Amino acid sequence: MTECDDVLSQLLLGRALDADAAAHVSACPHCTAEQGRVRRVAALLASDDVPPVPPALSARVLRLAAPLLARQARRAAWWTLARALAAALVPLPLILFLDFHLVRTAYGVLNVLLPGAVSFYVAFNYAATLALLLALTYGMIPIVAERQMRLRREECRA
Amino acid sequence: MATDEDLMTAVASGDGRALAELCGRYERGLHRFIFRHTGGRDVDDLYQETWLRVVRAARRFDRRRRFSTWLFQIAVNLCRDWHRRPPPEPVDPASFEDSRAGPSGTADASLDARRLLAALPEPQRSVVILRYYHDLGEDEVAEIVGCPKGTVKSRLHHAMARLARLARQ
Repeated sequence: MTECDDVLSQLLLGRALDADAAAHVSACPHCTAEQGRVRRVAALLASDDVPPVPPALSARVLRLAAPLLARQARRAAWWTLARALAAALVPLPLILFLDFHLVRTAYGVLNVLLPGAVSFYVAFNYAATLALLLALTYGMIPIVAERQMRLRREECRA
Repeated sequence: MATDEDLMTAVASGDGRALAELCGRYERGLHRFIFRHTGGRDVDDLYQETWLRVVRAARRFDRRRRFSTWLFQIAVNLCRDWHRRPPPEPVDPASFEDSRAGPSGTADASLDARRLLAALPEPQRSVVILRYYHDLGEDEVAEIVGCPKGTVKSRLHHAMARLARLARQ
């Protein structure tokens, strides 16, 4: 590629030539000879008139894309849920371990202070409450994941 | 306002409104590109197929890239495939030169421009349309058509020489 090509490309693109390029054109016999033709080509290309986009075309595209989008949405929902579950399962062994020791310690302390049956009843209720809370927490994961996905989608559109 | 790349993330998660927004942004440019590339044939089908490919490949879209580059890359590939399809393109440079040399000389300017473009080989045509009509930089054109920047320059140079020859009175 030569300076001539760059200058003629600028002319083709209808750009104003800077001082250096203009000086090159006036000094270069090749560019002086070519510039008229290039300007004619540019004018011809500029005259190209493209008809407007048919009004129903984008609607047709969206209609045809709807099943694909639905599939993407299902896949994205599953993927988000899988990731959320995987993230939630990581600390689960630690939670279970801590809960187990908490209940066992509480039962030991209560056993010193209260009769055996009462301590067992209180410790059992405590363990049941912890289990219920854990179940509720993990049961919320799909709901929270779905909500998070919806919010992210809205953020993307905003 | 959401960027194109944000909207693509939403499209990847199945958001139809994000796709509608993207379609709205690129409707005119993409339609014109395809129209000029194919000389006005099968434009709607190619336009439609471009967007369907966008949706299908949405999950693979790399957010670090520009969406417009990716979109035109898909369109260029589709147009290339279209040009390879039989039957071969009926318009050839000779017919253009004949028509210009003809006695009538009343050809409509817009049609002349279309014939000029049709007379170019496909790789040169892509470069001229993207550079001239879409005002994209050489780097972006190179990325879209999948060749080095130097090749874009040389294609533009050869295209210009060819167009100048064809436009000669």
